[in-house]
Amino acid sequence: MEKNKIIIGLAIVAIIAVVGFMAADFFIGFDKPQKNVYEFKLDDFTDVDSSLINYTEVLNFNIDIEKMKAVDVDKDDNIYVAGKDKILIYDKNAKFIRQIYTEVEALSLKVSDNNDIYLGARDHVEIWNFEGEKEASWEVLNPRVVITSIALTDSSVFVADAGNKIIYHYNLNGKLKNEIGRKDSIKGIQGFVIPSPYFDIAIGRDNELWVVNSGRHQFEAYDMYGNLKSSWKKTSMNLDGFSGCCNPSNMAILPNGSFVTTEKGIVRIKIHKPSGEFESVVATPKQFDKGTRGLDVAVDSENRIILLDPMRAMIRIFEKDNK
Amino acid sequence: MRYSRTKGYIIEIVLLFTILLSFQTMDVQAQRFPKPEFESGHVQPDTQIALPRSDILEYFDVFVLIVALSVVSWLVLKKRSRRGVFWVSIFSILYFGFYREGCVCSVGSLQNIALALFNPGYKIPLTVIAFFVIPLIFSLFFGRVFCAGVCPLGAIQDIFAWKPMQMKSWLQKLLGLIPYIYFGLAILYAATSTDFIICRYDPFIGIYRLDADFLMFLLGGIFLLTSIFIARPYCRFFCPYGVLLNLFSRVSKNHMTITPSKCIQCKLCENSCPFGAIEEPNMVKIKEPRKNTVRRFLVFTAIIPALIIVGVYVGSQFHQNLAMVHPKVRLAQNIMDLKNNPEIQEDSEYIEPLEIEAFRSAGKSDQQLFTEAKEIIGDFHTGGMILGGFLGLVFGLTLASLSVFKYRTDYEPNKGECFSCARCMDYCPIEEKVGSSE
Repeated sequence: MEKNKIIIGLAIVAIIAVVGFMAADFFIGFDKPQKNVYEFKLDDFTDVDSSLINYTEVLNFNIDIEKMKAVDVDKDDNIYVAGKDKILIYDKNAKFIRQIYTEVEALSLKVSDNNDIYLGARDHVEIWNFEGEKEASWEVLNPRVVITSIALTDSSVFVADAGNKIIYHYNLNGKLKNEIGRKDSIKGIQGFVIPSPYFDIAIGRDNELWVVNSGRHQFEAYDMYGNLKSSWKKTSMNLDGFSGCCNPSNMAILPNGSFVTTEKGIVRIKIHKPSGEFESVVATPKQFDKGTRGLDVAVDSENRIILLDPMRAMIRIFEKDNK
Repeated sequence: MRYSRTKGYIIEIVLLFTILLSFQTMDVQAQRFPKPEFESGHVQPDTQIALPRSDILEYFDVFVLIVALSVVSWLVLKKRSRRGVFWVSIFSILYFGFYREGCVCSVGSLQNIALALFNPGYKIPLTVIAFFVIPLIFSLFFGRVFCAGVCPLGAIQDIFAWKPMQMKSWLQKLLGLIPYIYFGLAILYAATSTDFIICRYDPFIGIYRLDADFLMFLLGGIFLLTSIFIARPYCRFFCPYGVLLNLFSRVSKNHMTITPSKCIQCKLCENSCPFGAIEEPNMVKIKEPRKNTVRRFLVFTAIIPALIIVGVYVGSQFHQNLAMVHPKVRLAQNIMDLKNNPEIQEDSEYIEPLEIEAFRSAGKSDQQLFTEAKEIIGDFHTGGMILGGFLGLVFGLTLASLSVFKYRTDYEPNKGECFSCARCMDYCPIEEKVGSSE
């Protein structure tokens, strides 16, 4: 009899507990903010093994320019920054030299060996000299054009168009010679997959044109005729590759042929060997503010890495450690 | 002999279950969107989409419901067969439970009806109306035969009632108030298009679908475990549809009786009902003084309206708490909180709730949202008062029923609470005597 009472008592407690659970879940449970269960958490990728970091930030300075988009260095290691309406020029120690009013919103910038400044506005290319005089310009005759990068050789100007996912090859006078990267299964060219306005190009040590096919996480090398000479790719969330819709966003090439890459999403700067193999880390995600993107990068003659950080409105210079 | 009969039953069940499952595989592949072309050569697999149940099968469900109710009514009222009711219960578990995955069930259809009545934009399917109305009609004529063996929620608990124990009458009455509260809340939240809380907290749906989160499985497990000792806890102390069945069954014309003939007061059935739904004879026939009757009448005349008024007042006071469950009201409150305390967002731990993110991207203004939320709170004000008044009435009538003296000469099932499971019939010797005399 006593046992029955205990069992009934426990059963009643269970019923009351169920009522309590339902009421609490319905009336109180709603107060919990619904976190995004599908949220893509990148926290695990922000920690980087310190032994892999081979660079140190040695200098940084603020720059006063709206919509800063591009950075480059000349043969004397002067630093050029382009953005809305102007170009700022500093020497390698961050001493201000001059500013050039351009009245255009530049998305890309490249300085030639004779210090001509090639400026990529949205739909045209402008050439300015070091003294701030406009020397020439030409339009890219293609609808939806968005010029995001320029690369130079002694006789050629290569212009990357993210809107049309193509590279134009001009001579130094702005005459179109050919287009590079159009899908061609016979030549083994898959075409560029560029989901966002980050489409970077650079000239390699053998004068080949390196293109970041960011949607494929791939680097492709072309000769000036548009023939695919080489490529490497690595899709990975880890340090050895690139992830997201389209990475790396920008790159530069070191004199030894290694690539300096910048990424958005998991914001980090890395060095990849000429073969594509991961080499080291320049800057980890923790060294950037949340939401950082559009990190343009250049390399000077001392192998210093010059980084444009639009989020902090700053030029940040990294130097290799003597390990 | 007994063994072979049982074996036969098992084979029949397996066959039936196999046939039912074969219907379930008739999903048709359908491609709703053109497939993307992957440059890598990846071939996207075909998407398997289960089509909605065809109309003919929905009407077939209604047909099965009617047949099952008719069979149970016949088994209870004519055949007086507990075994027959048990096998119908097994069928209901398999068909309405595992095969139909517990939906649409009559219990949940209550909310569809409430939503359809208060929201003209909601077009209620005829089959849902049928699932709601048909068990009530049967209840009106034959008692709660739906509960006896057709409701999959009741059936699964019933087969777990292995060691049922009797509860104190007052405790049963007290816990018996929960379904009325649940009923009122379910109607309120369905009528205001807030939520279908009966479905949300259906403890057996996860078992029938073999898919639920851990807490819902736990809830179902607690109910089934409790069912072993306290028979059908969900039906007795939770089921909101049971509130209506209870009312309809009270006035049923042909409710089952424990004995097929005259009760001989053998008391064999006295403890046979695991639900405590058998009312004992009350032979005291001393006529109550008229003065007492009049006084009691006056007391209840005053108490019941007073409880209703208190209920209305309490309901009106808590309407905002009730309304906070509505997603739009909750969203408005969250946005209001952020406006009043903008520093919340500066906290590094702060994560913007999905609802706010979605609202911001929808492009509606805060003012629009606040206006809509205010209207909803207004609905809850009215609804809260009605709910409070209803619960006040229920408490008052329950109180009255406890103090009203009823004369009974025989052991009788309480028509409202009896599930017509036919267990008590097995204990009545009268049937056997009639049988032997024949």
